[in-house]
Amino acid sequence: MQTRRQFIQRGTKLVAAGAVATAAGPTILVRDAKAAGQLKILQWSHFVPAYDKWFDPWAKEWGSKRGVEVTVDHVGFADVVPRATAEVAAQSGHDVHMFLGLASAFEEHVIDLKDVVATLEKKHGKQVELAHRSTYNPFTRKQFALSDMWVPDPGNYHKEVWTKIGKPQGPVTYDDLVWAAPEVKKVAPQMQIPIGVGLSQDIDSNMAVRNILWCHGGSIQDKDGNVVLNSPETLAALEYAKKLYSVGMTQAVLSWNAASNNQAFNAQETSYILNSISAYRTAQDNKLPVLEHYYFVPALKGPKATLASEHVMSGYVVWKFSKNQDVAKEFLVALVDAARESMLASKLYNFPSFYGAAAEPGTPVNKRAESGGAWITAQCNKDPFGSNPPDKLALLAKSVPWSTNLGHPGFGNPAEGEIFDTYVLTDMFAKAATGALSPKDSMMEASTRAKQIFDKWRQKKMVPGGGKDK
Amino acid sequence: MTSTTAVSVAPTLHAGETIRRSDRRLGIVMLAPALLYIALLVAVPFLLALFLSLTNSSAGSLEFSFVGLQNFENVIASPVFRRALRNTFVFTFVSQLAVIVLGNVLARALMKSFHGKAIARFLILLPWAAPISLATLGWLWIFDSTFSVINWLLKVAGWLGPGQWYYWLGDPTLGMVAVIMIHVWRMLPFSTVILLAGLTSIPNEVREASAIDGAGLFSRIFRIEIPMMKPILTVAVLFGVVFTFTDMSVVYLLTRGGPYNSTHVLASLAFQEGVLGGDVGRGAAVAIFLVPVLVVLAIFMLRTSRRAEVV
Repeated sequence: MQTRRQFIQRGTKLVAAGAVATAAGPTILVRDAKAAGQLKILQWSHFVPAYDKWFDPWAKEWGSKRGVEVTVDHVGFADVVPRATAEVAAQSGHDVHMFLGLASAFEEHVIDLKDVVATLEKKHGKQVELAHRSTYNPFTRKQFALSDMWVPDPGNYHKEVWTKIGKPQGPVTYDDLVWAAPEVKKVAPQMQIPIGVGLSQDIDSNMAVRNILWCHGGSIQDKDGNVVLNSPETLAALEYAKKLYSVGMTQAVLSWNAASNNQAFNAQETSYILNSISAYRTAQDNKLPVLEHYYFVPALKGPKATLASEHVMSGYVVWKFSKNQDVAKEFLVALVDAARESMLASKLYNFPSFYGAAAEPGTPVNKRAESGGAWITAQCNKDPFGSNPPDKLALLAKSVPWSTNLGHPGFGNPAEGEIFDTYVLTDMFAKAATGALSPKDSMMEASTRAKQIFDKWRQKKMVPGGGKDK
Repeated sequence: MTSTTAVSVAPTLHAGETIRRSDRRLGIVMLAPALLYIALLVAVPFLLALFLSLTNSSAGSLEFSFVGLQNFENVIASPVFRRALRNTFVFTFVSQLAVIVLGNVLARALMKSFHGKAIARFLILLPWAAPISLATLGWLWIFDSTFSVINWLLKVAGWLGPGQWYYWLGDPTLGMVAVIMIHVWRMLPFSTVILLAGLTSIPNEVREASAIDGAGLFSRIFRIEIPMMKPILTVAVLFGVVFTFTDMSVVYLLTRGGPYNSTHVLASLAFQEGVLGGDVGRGAAVAIFLVPVLVVLAIFMLRTSRRAEVV
């Protein structure tokens, strides 16, 4: 029997012990990758789930051969940046962190991977230019990330519908979309959204509006990092978006998330979307009725250019606080080396950033990119994952010339990343398209915000330019 | 005699003082976890936010410099911020009004005896227990602009004609309606339970007396029950307002602030700017705008709580 006082005193001790245990919790429950022989990797949950089934055991096996305990944690793509922010604030967490798109805002907290790139270029030859432009800051001369893969962003079109309107090969130019929209309404009135180009606050819309902007000759920055969004070319792109929206789209595209255009196309509610092949693989996996009508076109031709943004660009960083930096670098080299496995595991979703890594074994360095390209072409020409016809994805093999990086025509940088993540461009397009603002007002609003963002990063000496801002 | 008294009083005083000291120590120990919690998880982040709002701090960096009030100037000049500020008040006011009215109706219904009352009570409480992320995903499909089940039902019912469609999440007004609807759905159980407690605390004699005096339903509600429930009603409203004013989960999960940043509330905009966009200084500046309103609410809450003897 204990008195109330004794009970309270014991209880207090218990609470105190609990508090100590809670404080110690992170060191007990969340293993900090401090010990040598450990490697903690943070990965996204791949849009093609089969990739994760390959990656996790592959990474662990790589580690076990070297006496390294590899841990892979996955987060949804939307949590990659918030997670990085938390780890930087805590100066603790994973050794290797994979970004989708630009990791440049975190440049200060990652190690320089120049030596890794040099090793890989020595083995496999040069990486594709858009990977270089997404992972290297020419202003600070730092290789802040390493890209092992990127993803092309073709147009997906409904062949049956487009055949009915007289274009069985799908759209070729942006004007084709405007022309086709009323025709699609006539031949497929059941489709809710004749043309499905997202204007929403999501990753796919972010890519789509950049494509329209670039193809009309506009851009956020010029090649030297000056903000040039306020331009007649941007205005032309916005006028185009307004026209396209009025004839071929509905308010649905203003609310889309990353999966919405896939769902709309797979449900045959739209005849054209801009997306990677993940939606197509979903249609295959689920044997959806849309499958036989599912076809692809390359980037559409605009008045000034024919370009599409990469759909996904990996950017692996190694944190400065990591105690396992050498192991992390070795891992990244191994990951690039595994280009063929990676591409096949992702069902041709991932394209190697180093084409040479997919070359036939024994090919000399100066021929590796060509050899790797030939292997990639062979896969696309005869899809090992059951496309019918087998060469349905053949156009992807030729996607490098029409693909570019975020930040085009300059390098990807933290200002471009922040504009991407806060949806400055998608808002500009959506406001102009819907008439919420005139194209000019919407451009001016976005330009003001873009300049604020660039100025902030220039003050931090991470972004060049400024002298010729418009 | 005198010495005897002195001897007997001295130990009594000493023992009383010891107990008082011991109680004080115990009091401090008992309060310490709560105070520590508030200091570490409320006061420190708040002061940090104030500090960061005056800097150009970014998510990927531990270095920053002072920029004075520049973040505030930029934020106030931003139409997105002004819209978010307005939305925050609309969101809070409309959803709380709906919650209190509907909560009252439900609480009154639950006071009556009827078949299946236990099931009804369980169903009413369910939204409170459901994880908001899971629930909002369900709502996301219900309000999906292409596949909305509401629209399909309205179409079948003949409400929507050919070519007519509600783009719940693609229209700024409908987007806010959707956000408010989900928040009301989510907050209703809490409000209902509190109001039910308030209603059951009114003695039956008072109701019987009012009935004998000839008071009608509305007289009884507005002149007897609501005045008697005022302290608990105020607490429910204030808790609801604070909870709603600072909430970002429904907006973030449902619309992500879209279309074109038109459905943001201050909390979701602060998250977008500060965490997703990496502009911690700007995000902090947006969040700081919540403070004046919350301070006023907190003062109200404390006063009301004291009057109602809740604390």
